[in-house]
Amino acid sequence: MTAERRDGRPAPLDEPPLPWTLPPPDRRSVLRAAGASLALAAAAGCDPGPEEFGDPLYARPRGVAAEERRYATVLELEGIGRGVLARTRAGHPVKIEGNPAHPGSLGATDVFLEAAVLSLHDPARSRHIRQGGRIPRAAPAPEAALAALAAATPGGEGLRLLTGPIASPTTARLIAAVLAAHPGARWHQWSPLAEDAALAGALLAFGEPVATLHDLSRAATVLALGADLLGEGPAQLRHARDWSAARAAGRASGRLPVLIVAESTPSLTGAKADRRLALRPEGIEALVRAVAAELGVIPAGAGHPDAAPIAAALRQAGPAALVAAGRGQAPAVHALAQAMNAALGAIGGTVRHLAPVMARPEECGASLQALAAAMVAGEVRGLLILDANPAYDAPAGLDFAALLARVPVSVHAGLHVDETALLSAWHLPLKHPLESWGDARAPDGTAAIRQPACLPLVPAARSAEEILASLAGVAPDGETLVRGTWNLGEAEWLAALEAGVLPGTAAPARPVRPRAGFDPGPPAPAATGLVALFAPDPHLRGGEFAPNAWLQELPRPITKQAWGNAALLAPADATALGLADGDEVEFSLRGRAVRAPVLVMPGQAAGVVTLPLGGGRLVAGGVPGRTGFDAYRLRPADAPWVVPGLVLRPTGGRGGVITTAHHHALEGREPPVRSVVPGEAIPPLPPPRSLYPDWEYPGQAWGMAVDLDACIGCNACVIACQAENNTPVVGPEEVARGREMHWLRVDRYAEADGRAAFQPVPCMHCEKAPCEVVCPVNATVHDNEGLNLMIYPRCIGTRTCSNNCPYKVRRFNWFGYARQEGAVAVRNPDVPLRPRGVIEKCTYCQHRIAAARTEAGMQGRPIRDGEVETACQRACPTRAITFGDVNDPDTAVSRAKREGRNYALLGGLDTRPRTTYLARVAAPQDAPGGAGAAGLPPGDAG
Amino acid sequence: MSGGPAGAPRRGQGWRAVLDLGLAAAGTALLAWAAAAPRRRRVDAPRPRRMPAPRAVTPAAESGWAAEPASDAIDTRPVAVIPLRRDFGWRFTLGLAAATAGTLLLAYAAVALLLTGTGLWGTNIPFVWGFDLINYVWLIGIANAASLVAVVLVLRRHGLRTAINRFAEAAALAAVAAAALYPVLHLGRPWLFYWVLAYPASFQVWPQFRSTLIWDFWGIMSHLVVTGLFWYTGLIPDLATMRDRAALHGRHLTAQAYGLAALGWRGSVRHWARHQAAYRLVAALVLPMLVSAQTIVALEFATTLVPDWHQARLPLHVVATGIPSGLGVVLALAVVLRETLGLQRYIDDADMDLLARLTAAAALGCGWLYADELMTAWLEDAATRLGMVARVFGPYAGLYWGSVALVVVVPQLLWLPALRRSAPAAVAIGIAAAAGVWLDRFSLIAGGLLRDHLPRSGPLYAPTVPEWTLLLGAVGLFVLLMLLFARFLPVVSMFETRHEESGKDVP
Repeated sequence: MTAERRDGRPAPLDEPPLPWTLPPPDRRSVLRAAGASLALAAAAGCDPGPEEFGDPLYARPRGVAAEERRYATVLELEGIGRGVLARTRAGHPVKIEGNPAHPGSLGATDVFLEAAVLSLHDPARSRHIRQGGRIPRAAPAPEAALAALAAATPGGEGLRLLTGPIASPTTARLIAAVLAAHPGARWHQWSPLAEDAALAGALLAFGEPVATLHDLSRAATVLALGADLLGEGPAQLRHARDWSAARAAGRASGRLPVLIVAESTPSLTGAKADRRLALRPEGIEALVRAVAAELGVIPAGAGHPDAAPIAAALRQAGPAALVAAGRGQAPAVHALAQAMNAALGAIGGTVRHLAPVMARPEECGASLQALAAAMVAGEVRGLLILDANPAYDAPAGLDFAALLARVPVSVHAGLHVDETALLSAWHLPLKHPLESWGDARAPDGTAAIRQPACLPLVPAARSAEEILASLAGVAPDGETLVRGTWNLGEAEWLAALEAGVLPGTAAPARPVRPRAGFDPGPPAPAATGLVALFAPDPHLRGGEFAPNAWLQELPRPITKQAWGNAALLAPADATALGLADGDEVEFSLRGRAVRAPVLVMPGQAAGVVTLPLGGGRLVAGGVPGRTGFDAYRLRPADAPWVVPGLVLRPTGGRGGVITTAHHHALEGREPPVRSVVPGEAIPPLPPPRSLYPDWEYPGQAWGMAVDLDACIGCNACVIACQAENNTPVVGPEEVARGREMHWLRVDRYAEADGRAAFQPVPCMHCEKAPCEVVCPVNATVHDNEGLNLMIYPRCIGTRTCSNNCPYKVRRFNWFGYARQEGAVAVRNPDVPLRPRGVIEKCTYCQHRIAAARTEAGMQGRPIRDGEVETACQRACPTRAITFGDVNDPDTAVSRAKREGRNYALLGGLDTRPRTTYLARVAAPQDAPGGAGAAGLPPGDAG
Repeated sequence: MSGGPAGAPRRGQGWRAVLDLGLAAAGTALLAWAAAAPRRRRVDAPRPRRMPAPRAVTPAAESGWAAEPASDAIDTRPVAVIPLRRDFGWRFTLGLAAATAGTLLLAYAAVALLLTGTGLWGTNIPFVWGFDLINYVWLIGIANAASLVAVVLVLRRHGLRTAINRFAEAAALAAVAAAALYPVLHLGRPWLFYWVLAYPASFQVWPQFRSTLIWDFWGIMSHLVVTGLFWYTGLIPDLATMRDRAALHGRHLTAQAYGLAALGWRGSVRHWARHQAAYRLVAALVLPMLVSAQTIVALEFATTLVPDWHQARLPLHVVATGIPSGLGVVLALAVVLRETLGLQRYIDDADMDLLARLTAAAALGCGWLYADELMTAWLEDAATRLGMVARVFGPYAGLYWGSVALVVVVPQLLWLPALRRSAPAAVAIGIAAAAGVWLDRFSLIAGGLLRDHLPRSGPLYAPTVPEWTLLLGAVGLFVLLMLLFARFLPVVSMFETRHEESGKDVP
């Protein structure tokens, strides 16, 4: 994988391949590529793996046994770091887990962290330096590109640097060095998802840029204004943990926190809301102004029927209230949210303000527009684009691709050969964060060192830090550069590497108060007609994760769509327009048009069409092909999130929507997700009857409890399970046929008002497992600790077990997915690959149990509670999953199962599942249909 | 349900049992009535229209029949002559070529399946079974019903047996042979099918005897063995006749082949006595097997937790709805054989008439069964009731109503004398009944999964081209086996015909 093979290199092309001239790939090639994208270089089975990668190791975190080989490092999302532990085998990271010591992750992971190992090992990663989009015969050194850049811009005149949002101190230091070495140079930041409005709002409210931290754990009443606190963003892990802590405290005290969400399109936060208002964007602003007027923040204006009860609830919570605005909201909404927090006394409690964490807080949209203006004016003679893809994700109005062609020397550095790479004069392959030195700051500013977890897999690749250092004339050695930033003693340095955080580096608190005479400006004009609402894709973000097959195949939390995206339409609009799921329409906005399939989404505000970003990539690494449509083609530069005046025309076409939810409706069934009022206990099932004697478990008996009150449906468990258990990617065609292989699925039960209940469904490991008795060859058996195990070599593939499984958690290898073309290697050597024609399913991470048993046995002690953590449990940001020995009454899982809200899914079937659920808790007023006129279920009032 | 996860006792359980028993009794009585009227063949039976001229062979020359007074026995030589013909005509050759092509298609589909995997099919989670089980249950139903009729006729010594038994049993065997492919090919790893055998494997793992799939394996194996034995036992005296006939024609190699198969039959009184005892004994053995084999197939569904499948009436439904399909195939075969081989004398109009009425009666019985299905679902608990509603009115509703129309309604046309005497109409209606039962199996296996305990997790099942290919191939194999049977063996039982129409008891 590392060896550069001369013969394997594609022949140079005569012309640089332009992205739009590439033929659209046929659907089968997408499947093959998905397999290829799975190709990882980790060792298979007992093979210790190639030694050529050496032992990359620098230090391992404290308290981790030597055999485990975990390295603390940090991975960024939108420039903000979340600390992780990279578990390696044979020198290759095979699994990412959260670093409990890091304030950005708290030991949990989200889907992007989990998917990083796949991106690292993606065989479609860029491996060669390119000139004009093609690979030169004689490989030039990366320095040649930088030399060309410097030569074109004497004294830095005309040199521009474009990066994503930067918080990393080392990167910031090196950028400063570049700017110092090239005095005429300018630095621009661009991210299609940048929180520009939050920055503008803070400036409006306080007159200075500050980082705003929301502490949901202290909140009694939360008003989220289009803010998907629980669903997305770099601080999502922190929010989710805090929210579940607040729920746990609320359940214990009987005073549940109240979550009120006003949003235009369903989000995970809205799904968990106690009260959800589906409003058009200008309706949200009207609501905010009315609530702010009620709270005395601004003079009274036009009222809003929902404002008074919401304001009352916030006022009642006082300092424990929290108002948060999302990235799609206007700066005025952000400013009003800040001002309301100040008026409520929440600042310093649920809301903290810190000195900016970003190296240079600025509005990315304006920054990119300034760059584009300079390019139009011909002032840009050299452009270095570091890990950004503006040719794809710049607003369509800028026509960045054309401007890029006018820059004499453009150098792009990226992980993949993407749209910008093909259009730039030079392309340099970038190292993956898991193979390079660096540092990153958490949302609260706490710094962490990013140490490589493996040797570079691509010899030609450089890290962004090294490229900047070369340009600045500094020796490009990653470790030296990072050490140079922090100037730590050897012991402190090693301690920082071990811990995965640098203590005492959090950003200092910045006491702020609203400016005197604060004025949010005039209200937004009422818009008529359809409004386009751009939104990040839950799994592809702005498109940078499009090459990752795991993320492509993972069903989106709300829509359950995989391999593609669709425009979301309110049911009322769909009825009016005569559209149904999967109908293709042509959207026109400001003279630009794009075709997309639609999905009808309950809970979507009428008149609002959500256009997810990140789809329709022309070249996306191992996933070539347009999965979904490209909403950037409609996105204007001046209004990045909300644009009125969308025109919609059905084309009469159909298709393009692949979903794993085929029946949302319960159709008269007893709801699988149960809900109780605080203190209510679900009656236990009658004693089971069986012809067969009970099993006996002299030792451990493993069991799981899933707290549905805590579950936010974020999918982290699903992808963690996939990474841990080598679950194959099957590709869009197979998912469309209903053959996805995820061992753990998250069922979503939608309510008409846009709220939803989520239920992760792994194998139930039934005591009286229906699957066991129907297998003709004893391939699925009960073990002495109560695990319902699959013996893959014994399975002949009758699939009768799946027929008899009422939970439908069994998956079948219809084809040889694990060994299909391109899928060369296994990831986690602890888990066997499954051949074609056998059933597979959740094992409760049986290999982790075995490892813990071995470890405990070597130390001559029993397995401790909490020593075995399943992959899904480890990933869960809300700690919804508890696992352990149910034979021991003192374990966490036994305690959870003793709670009154513990119940078995389909308990009436007497399968006696080992996986049980803890019911959701809702105040009585909030029972379905019982929402009072006030619409507010304050826990302390009930 | 083993392990007792069947849940709380269901409302209407008692009612259902009573209903099922009553229906079973009614169905059995109907069959018995149809089969019981012992009927002697009229001596003045109408002469066939195209009876081939008898060859100049003296009855006395048939050594096997030396002891039998031939004077008042019907002349069965035209039957024996058929397999000895040199030329079967271009239509037979064409049919044989088509059937061979179909069988080659089957081989192709099987090889493609083995090389690529069951992913070729339209199956998914939860619809894990598609054409594999649909066709399997259907073909087994045809085989069971065809054998069932033959056995009842033998045990009752009914006159109709002389006309239809031989080819009905052959059809049953051919159907089982075609069906037997499916349980193997439907496996994810077909090459390991032998793991369901209770053989002393070196790793000392036995099959799971609680699994209905194991019961099914035993059921099908027993079925194959006993039905084969029944057919072969009935064939022995006729094979001896064929041997003698072939020898008379100077076809010594052919004679040797028939002789080998005839196991040295000489037609002695002791032979006859033992043969009759053995024949009736095997017939008695077949009888419970037929009910049990198809019942076990039904248990593969009835013992699962799938609400629509988990019903005590399912075995009865599957066994009883199989009967019109088997009778329909036998009826169609009877028409085809008597018309193409000129056997109107042996499969006479009265036989056809009775067979047609039997088919119509069985279809009427199925009508009651379908009504029972709806009523049982109505009396059942909500899960089962809604499961049935989904099957009857859901996306697969067309299959259900199609099966009701083809299995119950269309065969009622056979009560019209004009239609049941028309050869094309009888063939069409017979095949329609079989097709209707195929729709019923499709509706049961795919439609039954429409509504499970949790909302459905996969898209609907729809068969793919490889599945259709496999079905076409299986039908090709069935036709090929039947053509070879008609080519090489006497298609009606000669010794029974002679005996039946001689008016004498067997020694």
